[in-house]
Amino acid sequence: MNILGIPILTFVIFFPLAGALALLFFRKTASGAVRLAANVVTGLEFLATLFILTGFDAASGEMQLVERADWISAFHAQYLLGIDGISLLLVLLTSLLTFLATLSSWTAVKDRLKEYYLFLLLLEVGMIGVFLSLDLILFYVFWEVMLVPMYFLIGIWGGERKLYAAIKFFLYTLFGSVMMLIGILVLYFHYHTFDVTAMVAAGKALPMALQGWVFFAFFLGFAIKVPLFPFHTWLPDAHVEAPTAGSVILAGVLLKMGTYGFVRFSLPLFPQASRKYVPLIIVLALVSIVYGALVSLMQKDMKKLIAYSSVSHMGFVMLGLFTFSPMAVKGAVLQMINHGISTGALFLIVGIVYERRHTRLISEFGGLSSRMPVYAAVFLIISMSSIGLPGLNGFIGEFMIIMGAWQVNWVWAAVAATGIVLGAGYMLWLYQRVMFGKLENPANMSLKDLTVREFATFLPLIVMAFWIGIFPKPFLNVLDKPVEKVIRIVNPGYYEEAAAALGGLADAAETKAALPGEDR
Amino acid sequence: MDAAGSISGLKYLAPEIFLLATAAAAMFVHLFDKKRGARRAGYVVLAGMIVGLAVLFLAPLSPGEIFSGSLSVDSFALYFKVIVFLAVIVTLPLTFRFFGVEKFEPGEMYYLLPLILIGMTAAVSSVDLITAYVSFELFAIPSYVLAGIFKKEQRSAEAGIKYFFLGTLSSGIMLLGMALVFGLTGETNFAAIAKALAGANDHIALIGMILFFVGLFFKAALAPFHMWAPDVYEGAPTPLVVFLSTAPKAAVFAMLIRLIMTVFAKFEVQWTYIFQIIALATMFWGNIAALGQKNIKRMMAYSSIAHAGYLAIGLAAWGWLAKTGVLFYLVMYLFMNAAAFGLILLVRKSSGFGEEVADLGGLARSSPLAAACLLVVLLALTGIPPTAGFMGKYLIFAAAVEKGFYGLAAAGALNSVISLFYYFRIGRAIYMEGPREGVRFEPSGPVLAVLVAAAAVLLVFGMFPGLLTPLASAATLLK
Repeated sequence: MNILGIPILTFVIFFPLAGALALLFFRKTASGAVRLAANVVTGLEFLATLFILTGFDAASGEMQLVERADWISAFHAQYLLGIDGISLLLVLLTSLLTFLATLSSWTAVKDRLKEYYLFLLLLEVGMIGVFLSLDLILFYVFWEVMLVPMYFLIGIWGGERKLYAAIKFFLYTLFGSVMMLIGILVLYFHYHTFDVTAMVAAGKALPMALQGWVFFAFFLGFAIKVPLFPFHTWLPDAHVEAPTAGSVILAGVLLKMGTYGFVRFSLPLFPQASRKYVPLIIVLALVSIVYGALVSLMQKDMKKLIAYSSVSHMGFVMLGLFTFSPMAVKGAVLQMINHGISTGALFLIVGIVYERRHTRLISEFGGLSSRMPVYAAVFLIISMSSIGLPGLNGFIGEFMIIMGAWQVNWVWAAVAATGIVLGAGYMLWLYQRVMFGKLENPANMSLKDLTVREFATFLPLIVMAFWIGIFPKPFLNVLDKPVEKVIRIVNPGYYEEAAAALGGLADAAETKAALPGEDR
Repeated sequence: MDAAGSISGLKYLAPEIFLLATAAAAMFVHLFDKKRGARRAGYVVLAGMIVGLAVLFLAPLSPGEIFSGSLSVDSFALYFKVIVFLAVIVTLPLTFRFFGVEKFEPGEMYYLLPLILIGMTAAVSSVDLITAYVSFELFAIPSYVLAGIFKKEQRSAEAGIKYFFLGTLSSGIMLLGMALVFGLTGETNFAAIAKALAGANDHIALIGMILFFVGLFFKAALAPFHMWAPDVYEGAPTPLVVFLSTAPKAAVFAMLIRLIMTVFAKFEVQWTYIFQIIALATMFWGNIAALGQKNIKRMMAYSSIAHAGYLAIGLAAWGWLAKTGVLFYLVMYLFMNAAAFGLILLVRKSSGFGEEVADLGGLARSSPLAAACLLVVLLALTGIPPTAGFMGKYLIFAAAVEKGFYGLAAAGALNSVISLFYYFRIGRAIYMEGPREGVRFEPSGPVLAVLVAAAAVLLVFGMFPGLLTPLASAATLLK
């Protein structure tokens, strides 16, 4: 299926690749042209992903705009793409953040521009491909392809410990993914297809003994990406050492691939194992929430603080996913988007002062609000969104997750809520130390406020933060059906209970109506 | 059988006859052209190899065993013949560069290559103990000479001697195994032995099999019989290492496959165990030893050992899928190795070529094309998509998973991660480190051609493995 005769999903995957190939023909010295071209490509790519909406039916829970072709016929591997509400939101987030990351690099990157934008565009190919492939081998190919440009982005344009951080990132994530590959192969020999929708539809889950192992093979791949405590140790290094655009994409998109993997593959393909290991994963999620927040409190480096806050926020997402209630799962998916918006913006915010001062130490700053009022306002809005202030996006996601968790087990909700309190603590404290107080450091006296281009990179994110915070309905609507589909597989009891409860309520109402006199 | 021993059977040997003619032509060119004879002999051989590929496909496949049941020119043999021909084709441009720079060009090297190929093409089609032994010696002895041919350098001579002693030892062990099998059955033809073994003493037959295999493991540098390989590969002239680390391995794997499918088919349980152990030992040993190497040749020597370990997983999980995987991987492995060793020939220092990883610093700036090709090759060596290295490993791991060897497949996957660490030390040097003093990069046409060809092959077959896998699956033994 396609729109206007263009296979739109293929187009959005490979358009950045075409852009990257076109970049090869630019002269090395033509840095202005290279910059402009890269920005145009990622901008057009964002518009192209918006174009998907014209053919997308929000009321359907099925895979849409499916494109299917034989790829390696001998092994039944297909070129199979499709999109549903969950992947739609993530694809839009990816193309938006990649565009903003490209825009933010305009002056920040001066060295080896051509290669830089080349890797950024290749990265986008991998990321969009991951969210759109429904064939496990195709998915795996995109999943791995994306590692390489990220490795180079960190290793070439990163901070002082870039070489260490780059290889650590590569090794950790490759380790997780090769184990997933073995899991994919086991699935293949069970279902004789790599088509995920067909696997789920076949309904014959793996025998429990094997399912547990395969679940863990996938778990390793995804949990390292999320990252769930104790697999998070690559994250602070990679996020801190990466260049600003790299951090934005790492935090904004790459981490989501882990949680996306859980909701798209782990829950529907291993329902029994997922249920069985709920306690383990919830504990890890709760530890991530509290531990990430506590470590954030202690950081002296702004970027590291935000990196650890990601561990905490992604813990919320994991908590939401593994409560298996529609509200929490929808909240979790929405929280993925929210985290992409707010943490992506926070890394951009740090990038702004880093570009001006070449330091990220909190103690170097103070009183910036008097010099950079616009910057202070942007920072404030984004901090509030990250904390979860009602009216902004973070609130909706966290609230839904905690509500859902409360219904299952109030202790989970209580522990998670402390994460929110701590989150408010570290963010407000960070804001206070950087923005308020007296402007004492002479190096900060001449700091310039945001330029128009810089403000333009924040504007879409701020608009999104308010939109999701005030009117989240369109976002939740596209999630309704796909999430319901997942819950029906992994937690079929939920809908039965809900129906029974509803029936019970109706019964009670009838009794009341029948005995009007008994009320008093 | 109809053609047994008769002159009409010669048409099946057209490739071998053509190789002999090529070698003779090259020899005469070398003999009579005093000035540039050596290089011209090389050109003759290169042209001969390219025409030879056509001869390979034009020559008919034998309808059954020919020459009294000693050879079987089947599609399986043809597949391996193409591999060894390709090995020479990618080696030759590198030799032109290497010996050109060193200003020492032994012409005999060029006509030894087709002579070695005669041994290899016979080895991959032999279905008889005696033919097998003779053809293995036929390619082994000139190989020792190749390893030691760079007489200017002491370590090349050392490599030659080492290769010779270990090679002869392994041939001896192999021969002992063959003798036991022959003594037990009184047959030399593989099919006849298999029939006779059905009622024979299993213990002696097993000892015979193990000795036969050990001899072959030595030749393919499978752990724990690999100790000679790093020294020989480090000492031998770089371009010839490309050949020595690939073609003999292909011949050995062809022989192992023939043996497990015919002679020792009844010992499937035993050889499955053997290959599992060998695969684990080889992968881990190769990869872990490579971690500490600073010299690229030595690192790649250990890496080539590790890759033979991945291939051994395929033998342990032998079946349709494993065959496809092993045959696919052998071709891709050839191109990976050619590029990995070939890259050294771009790096010039005052004393020869730069062989250390750090010498590659700054390559991405001075030669972006070579750097990009090398990146593809490194990804393929590690087994990362979209390269053929991934597809090959994927097929082999899939075969292991199909047989239920989950642990073995996971160990293979884990080894990919270990190997990432040292392969990307090269990647790091190329892209992230600055140039080293006293090192300069010379863009050499023949070397760049090999690099570009390797990268293109690895990318195309990585994205569309369906172009080759049907051929690999279709390559079958005649029974």
